[in-house]
Amino acid sequence: MALARVERLTFAYPGAECALRDVSLEIDAGEIVLVLGASGSGKSTLLRALAGLVPHFHGGRFEGRVEIDRRDTRTTRPSALAGTVATLFQDPEDQVVATRVTREVAFGLENVGTPPREIVPRALHALATVGAAHLADRPVEELSGGELQRVCLASTLALEPTLLLLDEPTSQLDPDGAEGLLELAISSGAAVVLSEQRPERALPVATRVVFLEAGRVVLDAPVSRAREWLSSHRPLWTAEPSRGTQRSGELGSTVCRLDGVSFAYRPGQPVVERFDLELRRGEVVVLAGPNGSGKSTIAKLATGLLDPTDGIVVRTGRASLLLQDPGRYVVRDRADEEVALGVGGDLPRARSALGSLGLTGKEARHPRDLSSGERERLALASVLVTEPDLLVLDEPTRGVDPERKRELATRLRAQAPGRATLVVTHDRVFAASVADRVVSLESGSDPEGLTLVGAAHG
Amino acid sequence: MRPAAALALLAASVAAALLARHTLSVAVLALALLAVCVRAPRERRWPYLVGTGISALALFVVTPFVETLGSHPLWTGPIVPVLGQLDVTHEELASASFQACRLAAVGLAFAAYALLLDHDRLLAGAGFARRSVLAVALATRLVPTLERDAGALVDSLRGRGVEVEGLRRRAALVSPLLAGSLERGLNLAEAMEARGYGRSDRTRVPSPPWTAAEGLALAGAVVLVALGAMWL
Repeated sequence: MALARVERLTFAYPGAECALRDVSLEIDAGEIVLVLGASGSGKSTLLRALAGLVPHFHGGRFEGRVEIDRRDTRTTRPSALAGTVATLFQDPEDQVVATRVTREVAFGLENVGTPPREIVPRALHALATVGAAHLADRPVEELSGGELQRVCLASTLALEPTLLLLDEPTSQLDPDGAEGLLELAISSGAAVVLSEQRPERALPVATRVVFLEAGRVVLDAPVSRAREWLSSHRPLWTAEPSRGTQRSGELGSTVCRLDGVSFAYRPGQPVVERFDLELRRGEVVVLAGPNGSGKSTIAKLATGLLDPTDGIVVRTGRASLLLQDPGRYVVRDRADEEVALGVGGDLPRARSALGSLGLTGKEARHPRDLSSGERERLALASVLVTEPDLLVLDEPTRGVDPERKRELATRLRAQAPGRATLVVTHDRVFAASVADRVVSLESGSDPEGLTLVGAAHG
Repeated sequence: MRPAAALALLAASVAAALLARHTLSVAVLALALLAVCVRAPRERRWPYLVGTGISALALFVVTPFVETLGSHPLWTGPIVPVLGQLDVTHEELASASFQACRLAAVGLAFAAYALLLDHDRLLAGAGFARRSVLAVALATRLVPTLERDAGALVDSLRGRGVEVEGLRRRAALVSPLLAGSLERGLNLAEAMEARGYGRSDRTRVPSPPWTAAEGLALAGAVVLVALGAMWL
């Protein structure tokens, strides 16, 4: 008997096109199912259907049937499935309820009626399992993104579910952190359904792959056969890090130079120490390194959003920075007005920038009504419209599928000669496709500072 | 110490400060509360301490001009419509000091509550109105999240060359911040439902038995109120 069964499921969110079309699949105990597909292909919706959140939480038109442990989700609320099913969402900030770590992990256990005396021991055990026992008494607001995602994983594992749903859980983590988190989830013994945009992380641990396209299942196969299919039909999804078309001409003048730069958010706790970097017109430099190594801080120092506590930053011309998760930070009610903010309200210029990123016809739309992919392009248009001499992008591929990553890499390469470009990322495939030079930060806490270990390609 | 006992002590300190009649007593109370507050991390405590300090100072400055008290003027000023003749007397200064110390004590007690108490445990221990209790806990957590979102929003604009200066421009950020909060709220509600929130068979983490120190703290709270009412 399958643990989960989806039969001819078709679903549309209220007032929207179908997100899932005639999807059928079965998941057995112990399986590790990797769900792949472009943004908007229905991956998250499928996971929500397995959790019962579709249709109960979202409403919409639901046809077909989903059964979890022989319970029909149309008549069983998601809260009643909790314990059998546990879900880890993409952004940990959006799922944390309590102010202290142990209480946070205990929240789900309390909800599912765990005997009171077992709650704290199980919460502490789950924290220990994910290597977060030392965080037990910490306030959640003091945790880094990676630590918080581990706490959220502990919250799901504490429930001892038989079906674990992971919705792009590693998008904010560096490669080591992502690998560790996936290993922990898989070692729980539950059947796992994992949605990912970086297949190179998940394929090695999966037993089966489901590929969605426009809400339809176009592949459902064991991982070995899926690799072959992906290689021949969707080669971008199995891409290994490889160099794209890099700079061919001479480098131009220096646009930005960081000399012996240090920075600390709190006295005595430097995030960046004695860091040197030179960015010249015509080159694309990738800044890589683990979570917490100071990459985003360097991006802000380079663009002048932060002033160094020591050392100097010399910059010529205009600098623009695209922050992580830019779709969240929209200010205006129209897409063209949002883009025009950076150019003093020049709407024709903003519309031209939108057009160059394939957003013609979306000018009057509210930015929050755009799809996630369109929001990303809108955010990119908002910085490109300023025609900066220094363009800095902080984790621009977070939650971005391989096809859109390739588009972004192509665009950055095409525009590279006119400016200096710094890309902060721990996406190895993207870094290899776009970089002329890679600067890697080995450790933010190293007293010797941030070590330049990346080879200068090209 | 369990948060309920600590809260009782803080509430008793506020009651004592409001009941006491001597400036020195209230000043000592305020200093004791200040000593408690400085245990909080520096970057978190400064808004509370600065806010309390400015409020108390403002009260001290304004009180002599709006109060009419005593017959030993230290300074006599011009006649101002509505307020009459401005003057500062010895008695008014004493009263201003007293009121300022009182306000400082109340402000510092609130700062200690906000900075040092474990709101999860405090509210979970309430044992009633669980939905309201959770709403308060979530609101408490929302403050630092909003603060971070506001910072990121400003950075996002500065990254495009748009400086956010002046009251008008900052006020314009309220609406997008609110929209972002609503998005987060929806996501959180979904995550809570997925974690079983709303089930009828809910249990709760058992509270540990009261310790002697916590009992003593409760008794101390009662004594403090009595002292404030009768002798301070």
